[in-house]
Amino acid sequence: MRRRRLAPVAALAAAALTLAGCGLGSDGSGSSAATPTVDANAKVTGEVSFQTWALKPKFTSYVENLIKEFEAKYPGTHVTWLDQPGDGYDKKVLSQASAGQLPDVVNLPPDFALPLAKQQMLLDVGAADPKIKDEYVEGGVQAYQYQGLNGTFGYPWYLNTDIDYWNATKFAAAGLDVKNPPKTFDELLAAAKVMHDKTGGKEYLMSRLPGIGDFTNAGVKILSDDGKKFVFNTPEAAALLDKYRDAYKAGYLPRDILTQEYLGNSKLFTQGKVAWTTGGGNAIQDFVKDNPSLKGKVVPSPALDTPPLYVQGLSVSAKTKNQAAAIALARFVTNAENQAAFAKIVNIFPSTKASAQDPYFSKSDGTPESDAKVLAFESLAKAKVLTPPIISGATNDFIGQQISLAISGKISSQKALDAAVAKANELLTQ
Amino acid sequence: MRYNRWFTPWVLVIPALAWLMVFNLWPSINTVILSFTNARPIGGGTFVGLRNFERLLHDDQLRWALLNSVIYMVVCLPFLTILPLLLAVLVEKKLPGITFFRTAFYTPVVASAVVVALIWQWILDDRGLVNGLAEKLGVISGPLPFLSDQWLLLLSAISLTIWKGLGYYMIIYLAALGNVGRDLHEAAAVDGAGPCRRFVHITIPGVRGTMILISILISVSALRVFSELFILSGGKGGPGGRDNSVVMLIQQYSQGFEGNLGYASALSIVLFFVTVVPMLVLARLNRRGAEA
Repeated sequence: MRRRRLAPVAALAAAALTLAGCGLGSDGSGSSAATPTVDANAKVTGEVSFQTWALKPKFTSYVENLIKEFEAKYPGTHVTWLDQPGDGYDKKVLSQASAGQLPDVVNLPPDFALPLAKQQMLLDVGAADPKIKDEYVEGGVQAYQYQGLNGTFGYPWYLNTDIDYWNATKFAAAGLDVKNPPKTFDELLAAAKVMHDKTGGKEYLMSRLPGIGDFTNAGVKILSDDGKKFVFNTPEAAALLDKYRDAYKAGYLPRDILTQEYLGNSKLFTQGKVAWTTGGGNAIQDFVKDNPSLKGKVVPSPALDTPPLYVQGLSVSAKTKNQAAAIALARFVTNAENQAAFAKIVNIFPSTKASAQDPYFSKSDGTPESDAKVLAFESLAKAKVLTPPIISGATNDFIGQQISLAISGKISSQKALDAAVAKANELLTQ
Repeated sequence: MRYNRWFTPWVLVIPALAWLMVFNLWPSINTVILSFTNARPIGGGTFVGLRNFERLLHDDQLRWALLNSVIYMVVCLPFLTILPLLLAVLVEKKLPGITFFRTAFYTPVVASAVVVALIWQWILDDRGLVNGLAEKLGVISGPLPFLSDQWLLLLSAISLTIWKGLGYYMIIYLAALGNVGRDLHEAAAVDGAGPCRRFVHITIPGVRGTMILISILISVSALRVFSELFILSGGKGGPGGRDNSVVMLIQQYSQGFEGNLGYASALSIVLFFVTVVPMLVLARLNRRGAEA
């Protein structure tokens, strides 16, 4: 009797365990190799899927025309376009990758592409297309080359960077000259003090916590040469945090920054609560759209120190059944002509070397909006990826938490950095 | 046609059983298995034995999260057990316009947790309503750091939970109060018992079972708090991540391409046991009380 009762329970447990075993997935990637196995000059024909990120409905006609032109250039091809919503794109790509259903050509920023490249889910497009280094800007290509991995795992599609924006009214109120804004971090701190003192602590210049990008800018090495260890707990990084902590303690930064999300800086600037923010080349339009009272009061200037480089790219799935068509499509979408056309309908910058001389990006019509665009375009020449793509998710959160502890004065900067590095290394190696 | 065959009960419970197995039993078993691995969202993982549980012992963040969860439960439990009962007693009376108050007290329950937390964030901000008013009235010279101080942030989140939960538990008490015999109150009143005495000696014993149920519900939800702390801390767990709850930690560790599903599963198991203990204690207390 007891046996009878136990039997179904045992069967149930066995079934559950078998099913649960599936949860682990395979240790490998399901992909045998990431190196292309077809000749890049093979005939381009057949079906290929193409996934973009939040381009519908604003850029539907641009993408549809692009696809039509590609299909006309390569008769016999058929492109299936998938556009995913802006929110939750990482989760969507993650679910596609775990199900082995990545589209043939997929828009992935470098930090999304890295974990997929590690699992050999992306094609080394550099091996398939040796010209990639000649045609695209160095920073764009480097963004898809990772320490510890051989290959280039995406075509850079478009670029952006940040420049500085200042509120002229607040500068005038504090007796500061907006035409001669701070150019270094130390000048920024000095201006923050003036603004605080002259307005009785009512106005703020800065409203941003430092991050990995600021450490890179201060000359701090983030990762070891082999990319296997974080090493940013240096005295230079601690000194930078000390400066922020002292500024916070003196009231030069709003206290809320310890709980604000990343875009707090830009939001507070738009609300007219702080006098400085960073933003892309088109940020003035957004500020004025959200707060029309800022019209004519926002002055752009180049970013402090090295500007950050933001890259978007197209990667090719290692599992694609039509490598020739997938590579051709990725190349076609990111070629100089198509990137330039895209950059003229949305404020991004092309990643192809051929676009560098295009006067559309390099000549201003004299308006602050146009000045900002040109400044951003010029900044791209020295812009760098300041935050290694390996820093994401829990690692990023933990580093941020330790930085806020140091800024709030609860622990010393060095102790916070040591804890951040120890935890980041633990998360990296587990 | 015969319906009383031996398999009839099984046929009736199969849909519910299948649901439970697919959405409860199987994920639970999978969580236990994952907790012994270093699984990632892509690429799977390997068996690592008790390494995740060893890490738990040295995890400062977990210590803070557990402390926060316990404080949350200890503060919320008395407030959310007693205050809704008092409110229910007040609005139970059939007075003109009482429906308005019932609705008003229930409104925060209907509002989405995220919307409510965002409104509270705006109220408690350094330049928000509370600090603005207090500064205008000269009560404080500088803003109180409701959202940037570890303990004030926790207190703000607890206040939000209590404010939001009042209406919900009030409705449960209202239903329970309907079962407390009116004749008992009348008899006690005739014997000279005042409202306070009647509340202590008739109302509370009358809703004792409901109080235990509510205590269990509050304990469980307080230990599993997420939305309030997440929104008020901007998703970052406050200064140094010291205002994280265990659920927030699980979310942080499991998110993204590099999420550590193994460690997040080990945290889930800890949360499960932490949640079950007060539930068992309260259930035991209830049984003892009923036997006495």
